[in-house]
Amino acid sequence: MAVTEPLNETQVIANLGQSADPSAQYYAAWWLGKMRSRHPEAVPLLLKTLKALEQTPVEPDRRGVALNAIRALGRLGNLAARNPLCELLNSTDYTVREEAARSLGRLRDPAAVPGIRRLIESGTAVAGGEQAGSPLLQEPCEALIESLGEIGLSSAETLAAIRPFADHPRPLIRAAACRALLQLTGDSSWGVQLIELLKHPEALVRLGALLDLGATGWIGAGSAISAAAVEPSLKLVALRGLAEDSEDPQVLRAMDALI
Amino acid sequence: MATAELTAAFARLDQATSTADLVQATRAIASLQDPEAAETLIKVLGFNNPAMASVATEGLISLGCAVVPKLLVSLDARNYGARAWVVKVLATLRDPRGLELLEHALQADIAPSVRRAATKGLAELDLNNSRDADALRRCCDGLLLAGRDDEWVVRYAAAFGLERRLQHSNVSGSMTDQALALLRQLSSSSEDVKVVRLRAQLALQRLNAE
Repeated sequence: MAVTEPLNETQVIANLGQSADPSAQYYAAWWLGKMRSRHPEAVPLLLKTLKALEQTPVEPDRRGVALNAIRALGRLGNLAARNPLCELLNSTDYTVREEAARSLGRLRDPAAVPGIRRLIESGTAVAGGEQAGSPLLQEPCEALIESLGEIGLSSAETLAAIRPFADHPRPLIRAAACRALLQLTGDSSWGVQLIELLKHPEALVRLGALLDLGATGWIGAGSAISAAAVEPSLKLVALRGLAEDSEDPQVLRAMDALI
Repeated sequence: MATAELTAAFARLDQATSTADLVQATRAIASLQDPEAAETLIKVLGFNNPAMASVATEGLISLGCAVVPKLLVSLDARNYGARAWVVKVLATLRDPRGLELLEHALQADIAPSVRRAATKGLAELDLNNSRDADALRRCCDGLLLAGRDDEWVVRYAAAFGLERRLQHSNVSGSMTDQALALLRQLSSSSEDVKVVRLRAQLALQRLNAE
């Protein structure tokens, strides 16, 4: 097959189904998510690639395929993926737990909440503590907290599990907690804390806070986003989130001024 | 002849080595608002330093349409970064002489932010003169193309631009039909991105063409 020829869905499904060429599988898993495939074989085949994560040791190529499959399963929105993804929250592989949490957030299935919440219940000192000799925390807290906010099921247990992270030493974790708490409670004081982070000296933190504000759909964020010291392209992404949630023409007016 | 102030500011730019000094020197040149500074500011756009380029862009915009001919001839086609900034200046100045460059940027530029700026330029170039019927048609053709772009932000800009053109320009009947058809398509479920649908719906609403 010529590399230059665009792939069609039938070929992609065949590429994912074979196992001799992991790089073709890797691409196929990505493609199905990107194209929001509705092919009946897509979800079963993606789930099948996850089996590679149960082997010891995990083959690096197969792990890459499985990670792409996890991301694709989040995008395809098929709830058949929920239980397998929830099981991956128990993986010893940090990145697998992180991607599984993000995809569960995209699926927005309230049944996933207890499994995600369990990983942060040990609080900022344990789950949110640093791994020795690594920039990573013990748990992928940002992804876990953000997906709880995305799923949007508010309960006393979930709020209690997230709240301590609003005081985490890392600003991006604080931003994730404020974002989720704003989504779950609608209490604008969490939004005010996010706006404070828009003034942070590090550009990366400003950017994170900006995208978090956009994701919450909190209408009070509009003017703060427009005024932030961040590139217009990124402001447009943040305002898109706000516009889609609020459907407020004021937000569209702010976007018109930035294009 | 450059003024003594401008000559001194050029010298500071030549001697600057750190980004902070370079930005400071560019700002000093821009703040003089001297048309003779245009060539230097254009040169700065090609230095591949976003902080400097952003200051130079503001400086060029404040010099107004007099810089347009210089912008058009100075352009190094291979310098993608510089071209992005030039597109921004031309789109903001709304000078019709920028038409060809904006058309080209929309069709050929790989960066969505450049195609977005070019689309905005095509929506806002000043074409009040009746002689500009051909230019207006080209702007509208560009906007129709932008409405089929792969990137949502370019399609968003197209919805914005079609509304502006239909509202403020004397667009021909057949072009109006095409523009409304595209806006209807962008507002329908065949458009994946909700904010694009919302923007196209707003345009149709304002044009009383729902």
